Amino acid sequence: MSKRSRSGRGDAPEASRRNFLKGATIAGAAALSTPVAANTAISGFPEQRPKAAPPGPKLAAADSMPPPADPVNQTSSGGDFMVDVLKTLDIEYLAMNCASSFRGLHEAVINHGGNTKPEILTCPHEEIAVHMGQGYAKMAGKPLAMICHGVVGLQHATMAMYNAWCDRVPVIVMGGNIIEANKRAPGAEWPHSAVDPAALTRDFVKWDDQPVSLQHFAESAVRAYKIATTPPMAPVMLSLDAELQENPIENREALRIPRLVKATPPQGDDAALGELAKMLVEADNPVIICDRMARTPAGMPRLVDLAETLQCAVIDNFGRMNFPSRHPLNQSFRRSILGQADVILALEVNDLWGTLSDFHDRIVRSAQPRYKKGAKIVTLGTRGLYLKANYQDFGRYQEVDLDIAGDAEASLPSLTGQVKRLVDESRKAAFDARGKKLAAAKLATIEQAKSDATIGWDASPITTARLCAELYSQIKDEDWSLVGTSIRLSWPHRLWNFDKPHRWNGASGGGGVGYTLPASLGAALANKDKGRLTVAIGGDGDFMFVPGTLWTAAHHKIPLLHIVHNNRAYHQEYMYLQAMAARHGRGITTADIGTTLKDPFIDYATIAKGFGVYGEGPINDPGDLAPALKRAIAMVKGGQPALLDVVMDQR
Amino acid sequence: MSMVAARADDAPSGDPVNGKRVYLADGCFECHGRAGQGGQLNYQTPALAKTALPVESFVAFLREAPNDMPSFSAEVLSDKDAADIHAFLQTLPGPRPVKDIPQLNP
Repeated sequence: MSKRSRSGRGDAPEASRRNFLKGATIAGAAALSTPVAANTAISGFPEQRPKAAPPGPKLAAADSMPPPADPVNQTSSGGDFMVDVLKTLDIEYLAMNCASSFRGLHEAVINHGGNTKPEILTCPHEEIAVHMGQGYAKMAGKPLAMICHGVVGLQHATMAMYNAWCDRVPVIVMGGNIIEANKRAPGAEWPHSAVDPAALTRDFVKWDDQPVSLQHFAESAVRAYKIATTPPMAPVMLSLDAELQENPIENREALRIPRLVKATPPQGDDAALGELAKMLVEADNPVIICDRMARTPAGMPRLVDLAETLQCAVIDNFGRMNFPSRHPLNQSFRRSILGQADVILALEVNDLWGTLSDFHDRIVRSAQPRYKKGAKIVTLGTRGLYLKANYQDFGRYQEVDLDIAGDAEASLPSLTGQVKRLVDESRKAAFDARGKKLAAAKLATIEQAKSDATIGWDASPITTARLCAELYSQIKDEDWSLVGTSIRLSWPHRLWNFDKPHRWNGASGGGGVGYTLPASLGAALANKDKGRLTVAIGGDGDFMFVPGTLWTAAHHKIPLLHIVHNNRAYHQEYMYLQAMAARHGRGITTADIGTTLKDPFIDYATIAKGFGVYGEGPINDPGDLAPALKRAIAMVKGGQPALLDVVMDQR
Repeated sequence: MSMVAARADDAPSGDPVNGKRVYLADGCFECHGRAGQGGQLNYQTPALAKTALPVESFVAFLREAPNDMPSFSAEVLSDKDAADIHAFLQTLPGPRPVKDIPQLNP
């Protein structure tokens, strides 16, 4: 007997508020009358108040024997209807780690839904499932759904949900729960149930609900999808009662699935965009900063159009694939130009104050603005339209001169159109001269990056620049997609030609470690049917949080080249600890304690093989990189995941 | 007079073998790379291979470093060890001609 099998037995005569026996194939017709009585009791107006039965032989029998109405089959379930709803939302995948509180929906996805739209992704940890959804959504342009045990599974899922929240990415999170206390079996079902499961996540989801009927579910699922995918986007959470999933449908004909009509992204006010256009055209040195700007493949060409019209500098914070890396106006590695800017336009910038400030992490922390006094600062974005109080991902308050509420990608055509109407011949000549200077500076920046990359070219441990150059030289002629890098790894953007919307999809958002491997796999899943070669360079520390992701990659045959940037340390913290020791004038030779991954070294290739993934390494000799990359890329092009463990110098 | 000041006119000097040992033991490589190629903390950290800083400026920089660079007092890093690090950095190859490396000219 399963641990939940008791729940449908003793309760049948008394209490289903959803009239659950309708639709079931029952052994005794007499049972049909009992739910009606139950509904009458719930209505609050019983014709005759029932009295508690005195203890006696009948009660003893009821406790120890099946009741007369004990159906053993059913012809429908709430889960079937839930699957119908998910299908209308065009949700391709349901990432999960199986759990009894959603066994009803799980079974329905397979046997009612045919395990397609959504198809189940088996994940060995809920954090993997949500992070896959985060990476997938940024590449696919639409969310997937994940489902978890509503208490302990959701607790596992939360950090990834927080990353997605900070990254403004939609993920449809669902969790099983058993609302009615009298339906819970003894044992695990009690600690795995909650009055309000979503409370745990309410600080970092955009909306949540716990539907109490199937119609309620249909409406809330459509609403959740719509809210999650309307900028500013974010995860949403639905708690699903197990009884609602499992019990027969009372009346399918009475249920209606609302049609999803997505909200148009909010666009900036035309008059405000006109004011901005005037400022940009009149400026001597306008600079555009972008972060999570490009929501769709249309975002990048729209920003290129604006920048080329103005011939102005663009600084990319790399939150999305916003602007081509080799574009002559891309000045992302020349941030000192902010000091000459007279107008700064920030498009969907997450931490504007941080971008515009030189912050010094010293005993007494201090900061200075990077921009000159009198520079006009304008923001265009949805960042401020939906904030919550507790977690502080919104950054320090930045004073601005004009704050235009609106989705930047949606607003760019209007802004650029207004700019074009204001440009006369004399301004155009000035713009062209400005653009030529920026283009020359860009070329110099690229040449400097290449020269910097030669330092330590033959060193072992291998330099990050060498790894990135070797990888790019092998994928440059493929339709590549770099979908994850370890913390603050800038070499790809310094050396590679990111020229298409799918070349890059941003970073973790919240900085929660354990993002890169599963989010890269999610992006690889989105790329799978598009013939793209998906690659990621993840940290070793990141890998160790979620190694089981590799099994999901093997099981679902998701092609991804994952390179472990194995510097054998939590390197950011290693550097911070060194600074702490130096600050105290003590122990500067012991900063490796608690910050490094050695004694023993971790053999990532062997771990990969254990999960059924092609693995090579550790690679210590830079001369071994090219042939190893060639072999691994061949595996990925053949439709399989592959891992390379490359022993690296720091970054 | 410190040994660094005494040596100001006759650089290069210092022991690069000891300098390499100290560079690795004291964690300089964490931000600046084992090959002195530079790296990343919360911003790009500078390459130090063949640093153009004279030794006395280099040691002074270590004592009162700006921005997020930790300062290293004489209690944990002697003048001699600091000068030896400087000598080690001079032995590192530094940049090579980009044209000689096909992978950087794809």
